[in-house]
Amino acid sequence: MPIQRWTLHLLRLLFPPQVLLPDIVAIDIGLTVAVIVIGVYLTRTRRWGWLWHEWITTVDHKKIGIMYLIAALIMLFRGGVDALMIRSQLIAPNAHFMGAQQYDEVFTTHGTVMIFFMAMPMVFALFNATVPLMIGARDVAFPRLNAISFWLFAFGAILLNMSFSIGGSPSAGWMSYPPYSELLYNPGVGENYFLLSLQVAGIGTIATGINFLVTILRMRAPGMSLSKIPVFVWSALITSSLVLFAFPPLTVALGLTMLDRVFGASFFTIAHQGMPMMYVNLFWIFGHPEVYILVMPAFGVFSEVVPTFSRKPLFGYEAMVGSLLAISFLGYGTWVHHFFEMGAGPSVNVFFGLSTMLIAIPTGVKMFNWIFTMWGGRIRLTVPMLWQLAFIPTFVVGGATGIMLAAVPGDYQYHNSYFLIAHFHNVILGGTVFGMLSGMYYWWPKMFGWKLNQRQGTWAFALFVSGFWLTFMPQYFLGFEGMTRRMATYPAGLGWTTLNLWSTVGAFVMGAGFLVMVYNILWSRRYRDWDVTGDPWDGRTLEWSLPSPAPEYNFARIPMVQSRDEWWAMKQEGRTDEVKISATTVHPIHMPRNSAMPIMLAFAFFVGAIGLIFAWFWMAILGGLGVIAALAYGSFADYSEVEIDAKHVLQTEAQLGRVES
Amino acid sequence: MDHEHPRRPQAPTGHGDEVELALLQPKMHATQFPSLQITGYILALVLTLLAFGMVAYHWVPVPSLIPIILVLAFIQGALQMGIFMHLREGRGTTWHLPVLALALFVGLGIVGFSIWIMMFKSGVS
Repeated sequence: MPIQRWTLHLLRLLFPPQVLLPDIVAIDIGLTVAVIVIGVYLTRTRRWGWLWHEWITTVDHKKIGIMYLIAALIMLFRGGVDALMIRSQLIAPNAHFMGAQQYDEVFTTHGTVMIFFMAMPMVFALFNATVPLMIGARDVAFPRLNAISFWLFAFGAILLNMSFSIGGSPSAGWMSYPPYSELLYNPGVGENYFLLSLQVAGIGTIATGINFLVTILRMRAPGMSLSKIPVFVWSALITSSLVLFAFPPLTVALGLTMLDRVFGASFFTIAHQGMPMMYVNLFWIFGHPEVYILVMPAFGVFSEVVPTFSRKPLFGYEAMVGSLLAISFLGYGTWVHHFFEMGAGPSVNVFFGLSTMLIAIPTGVKMFNWIFTMWGGRIRLTVPMLWQLAFIPTFVVGGATGIMLAAVPGDYQYHNSYFLIAHFHNVILGGTVFGMLSGMYYWWPKMFGWKLNQRQGTWAFALFVSGFWLTFMPQYFLGFEGMTRRMATYPAGLGWTTLNLWSTVGAFVMGAGFLVMVYNILWSRRYRDWDVTGDPWDGRTLEWSLPSPAPEYNFARIPMVQSRDEWWAMKQEGRTDEVKISATTVHPIHMPRNSAMPIMLAFAFFVGAIGLIFAWFWMAILGGLGVIAALAYGSFADYSEVEIDAKHVLQTEAQLGRVES
Repeated sequence: MDHEHPRRPQAPTGHGDEVELALLQPKMHATQFPSLQITGYILALVLTLLAFGMVAYHWVPVPSLIPIILVLAFIQGALQMGIFMHLREGRGTTWHLPVLALALFVGLGIVGFSIWIMMFKSGVS
């Protein structure tokens, strides 16, 4: 019975023993139920059309920003649950909450999800939600490409998350070094999921980089020279250029690894004179700029939050921009510090160690500038400001331990120990995540039109930050005591037990903080505190000159920018009427038209990726043809704009009280 | 399409480059056959196949392989930039020049540093 045998083979391929663990089956059932419930709800309330027209086919940067944010929060939950599973395993010596294989899968997914599917979309959420508003533009330069980026990211995230129920999760760590990731030592499709999901999401990321680079260089309002754009926009500009140059090496590294695994090449294999260390080199050419891609937007957020809540202009704008540029420049020449132990030689290691240490100087400049901005200011302790205040000590500790790791002889002692784990969580969680959450609370009213409750937000903040310190401080000492990363379990009697216990307690406190934050969002949505002014924080930059949320065309009248904090200057000089229109000056507005092509293109990539993951080449070819078809469809659909007529603009603005009488 | 959507520089569109947008309007009804693009496409394929064949089927001795491939790569790059990436077009701002210079700098830096790193001290020993 060939059909029977074939079915059996397929079932074994799709459901190997590692995806049939009881907890995973329980999650599968839960997810299926959730999907059915959502589907029924959408059908009952007749919202499929709404979902399709308002969200899935949208090219509006504000809506794309919201979708990125929701996806990032869901992924934060997923990565956070992984983290709690890891910490539960390590709560006591000789614990066997998970087997070693499952433990490997969980820490791999934790890292991959947190970096690529939580932090990156969180950054892009804020870029999308605010950058066009801050520079006085009606959308990004390439709105449809923006939607393509989002859907590629979304399908990449689905791919990686699918792996734990179908086919098996990757288990070679978020860096997936060969030979761990080699087919010989890591059979099955898990690693292919890692390669293809990052590849698909990575194409979208590069496109986003190009999009924001062009948007910021070319679409600023008249009068807004590069020396007048807000520092957050500077950070978006520099981050975008880093993305443009950092992601292609990752694409190459992942592509070659895929050729090794799926097509039997030997670029990075041990056998046939492959060079595994070349993967490490390529990965970190991407990986080091990546950490700056993650942290620069946080620097940008704080450079907006601190002046607003101190009622003072940013101290040392030029120094802030200069230090961002210096960090991005130096950040390109530091990647070897991730693998000093490879033994490239003293001169190589010293060069990269010194370049790493140099980065502390511009970062220190930024720290002092934020403090000097607060100095003598009238500080309001709102939730965004609290996150900023928590960030300063965290990032100083993270930076100082980074300098310790940059010292080559020292690094030989504590590389890949829990000291390193504590260090990079200190900078990525304490830098990027604190920054993004600060930005989320800060721009939430602008994105959604209502504010998040301050008291609950403070509770979430307090729990999260105290849990954060409790989790990671003990890990520095665990590193000194010799505990290495990725240990599935550890014996008693090494002096690690108490420290690990505290670390686990801290992780659960952080988890509670996250739950309070979710409650904060849901509660604030239930009892909406509408922001009717459009300027709830007494802000300084142009996005606060708009109503909350901004109408689809953002600016009915493009402002003529005269100074750096333009909205603040308008308020000081009594020029706020400049944002209003009158019946005689209103013009029709051209806006990009919604398109189904982005999701079609991303779906074709998804099909092709599944084909490559399971080595079903007919399916990969089908996906490739789908990609070509979607691109052709997109190229020939030349009716890509709609016109919002002047009457409609006038009506909308009148409702918002923005028409001059 | 142009007469259906007259786009004239009267009010700021928010793009800050009204004059240029008019220039950049896609010309959907161009009658000229895109012979340059098609030649470029075929040339790009030929160059790629040539490089692949040299490595896969040992058409040339190993010592001269790398220089030849570098030359092919240079021609390929120039081809892409000139025909498909609008490098020869004079209109609009010149932002692409600093970005291209940056790309060259980063690219050469990555290659140069990688060679240095992956020599494993063999350069001095």
